[in-house]
Amino acid sequence: MKEQDPIVFVIDDDRMIRDGLQSLIRSVGLRVETFASAQDFLGAKRPDTPACLVLDVRMPGLSGLDLQLKLRDDGIPIPIIFITGHGDIPMSVRAMKEGAHEFLTKPVRGQDLLDSVQKALASDRALRQERREANEIRARFESLTPREKEVLELVVAGLLNKQIADQLGMSELTVKTHRAHVMEKTQAESLAHLVRMSEKLKTATRK
Amino acid sequence: MGRRIDAPSVVRAVARYALALALVTLALLISLAFQNSIGNPFWFFFSAAVILSTWLGGTGPGWLAVIYSTLAVMYYFMPPLHRFAVTPRELPYFVTFVACEIGVTQLISWRRHTEDVLRRARDELEVRVAERTAEIKRQMAEQRRTEETLQATRAELARAARITTIGELTASIAHEVNQPLAAVVANADACVAWLSRETPDLAEARSAAERATQGATRASEVIVRIRSLITKATPEKSKVQINQVIEQTAAVAERQAANNHVAIKLELSPDLPVVVGDSIQLQQVILNLVVNGIEAMTTVTDRPKMLILRTEPENKNQIRVSVQDTGIGLTEEVKGRLFEPFFTTRSKGMGMGLSISRSIIEAHGGRLWAESNGSDGATFQFTLPNEDSPGI
Repeated sequence: MKEQDPIVFVIDDDRMIRDGLQSLIRSVGLRVETFASAQDFLGAKRPDTPACLVLDVRMPGLSGLDLQLKLRDDGIPIPIIFITGHGDIPMSVRAMKEGAHEFLTKPVRGQDLLDSVQKALASDRALRQERREANEIRARFESLTPREKEVLELVVAGLLNKQIADQLGMSELTVKTHRAHVMEKTQAESLAHLVRMSEKLKTATRK
Repeated sequence: MGRRIDAPSVVRAVARYALALALVTLALLISLAFQNSIGNPFWFFFSAAVILSTWLGGTGPGWLAVIYSTLAVMYYFMPPLHRFAVTPRELPYFVTFVACEIGVTQLISWRRHTEDVLRRARDELEVRVAERTAEIKRQMAEQRRTEETLQATRAELARAARITTIGELTASIAHEVNQPLAAVVANADACVAWLSRETPDLAEARSAAERATQGATRASEVIVRIRSLITKATPEKSKVQINQVIEQTAAVAERQAANNHVAIKLELSPDLPVVVGDSIQLQQVILNLVVNGIEAMTTVTDRPKMLILRTEPENKNQIRVSVQDTGIGLTEEVKGRLFEPFFTTRSKGMGMGLSISRSIIEAHGGRLWAESNGSDGATFQFTLPNEDSPGI
């Protein structure tokens, strides 16, 4: 298996369940790593690859919900599939509000779990892709000079060259030059492309 | 004497002294008027004036009347007349008169004083009696309230203990059994998945199947453990007078019954044989049936809510206890599932009460069953073997 292959982390204090889930997930060709506690998981090295977490809610020590909050606070975005023995509604609501990917009750049907895992991995893959793109765009945008950034803002806001020139107190020709530099540095193919990239960057920063 | 003048005290005092002066003056006038016809009548009139002054006015006006009449008698009736002097020959007579007047005043004012004290004492006593009565009434009300609270607390406690035990037991059993079942499902699913691959991986499938078996074994071990826990808890056996247990239980449930407007009626057979069992467990069973009965009558409005607890000899080896209600009764469907664990018709019920009750009665060598009274309630009854029955 390649390092870039997706990985599923299974955390459950019950060895038999842990082994069962691991075997089940491995049977569809996915890489699995198991942990007996949330602490063990936090202490382990995690490869930079699409991943998801299959997490028992009720565990001694750090509970599943505690781990979810800790990961969120540490800025580690990883989709979580919760497994609970008692279909406790307030608990599941809380977990879903905090962004849990799925909430399954024990005993979990194998196919349900595998479907959830696939969906979670796909979502993580997409998120990672988005983050990577956003990072690339950010790098390009950051290579702009302060003046070019000002021009970019106004261009994206839909202003005409003449209006930009008025607002920034420069000649229309200078604006055109800056604008050409912006298009070149950001590798924008068109005005629409530039606007899309700028929006993407803003969304990613907000997240 | 009982009169009281409701005027300020100064006015009252002046009036009393004025009364004394007026009375003595009246005595003087009458004495003077009758002087010639009756001889020396002043004795009588002045004494009367002094007595009345003291009696109506009190000690001060009494003394004023004494002095005034002494002077008047001295002036008008004692030789030498019309002078404030007495001849030596008349002195003993005059002194006797004055002494009598003084004596009468003293006597009457002493009497008045005693009466005053007495009256005050009586008034005080009345006030104290009233206060004390109120106090006692208050204490009694408080005691009654305390008793009611105590009763309520006791009933609540019995119920809470029952529910807590059952609730905790249920939650823990559910978790203990569910854990290995989850392992069985996960491993069995894994096994199937390994077998369904294009080239089935038999080694993986085998080890998953083995883990599934282990999980199932663990689940059955949990159940064996729970069963031994329950049966181990059973024998705490002693001789039990079932009527006593029923009376205690009825007392515990009384408040809940009253709150639901249910009348509890005991029809206990006086000559029941002793049974052998755990009186606490039997009380739990009866309480459970009683509470169920009360709750079955919550929605009843068209007939009296009545719960009858009855004991009777079933045959020469057994006794029978029945709890009959006038509640909503049992449909055939409900009747069939009543004793299943986790079966309940109530939103808040755990559905464990009857199933546990039945296992307790069966552990005592008896039977617990339910009968429908048509559309008019249900009867739950159980039998228990006598102390000397061959089954024990």
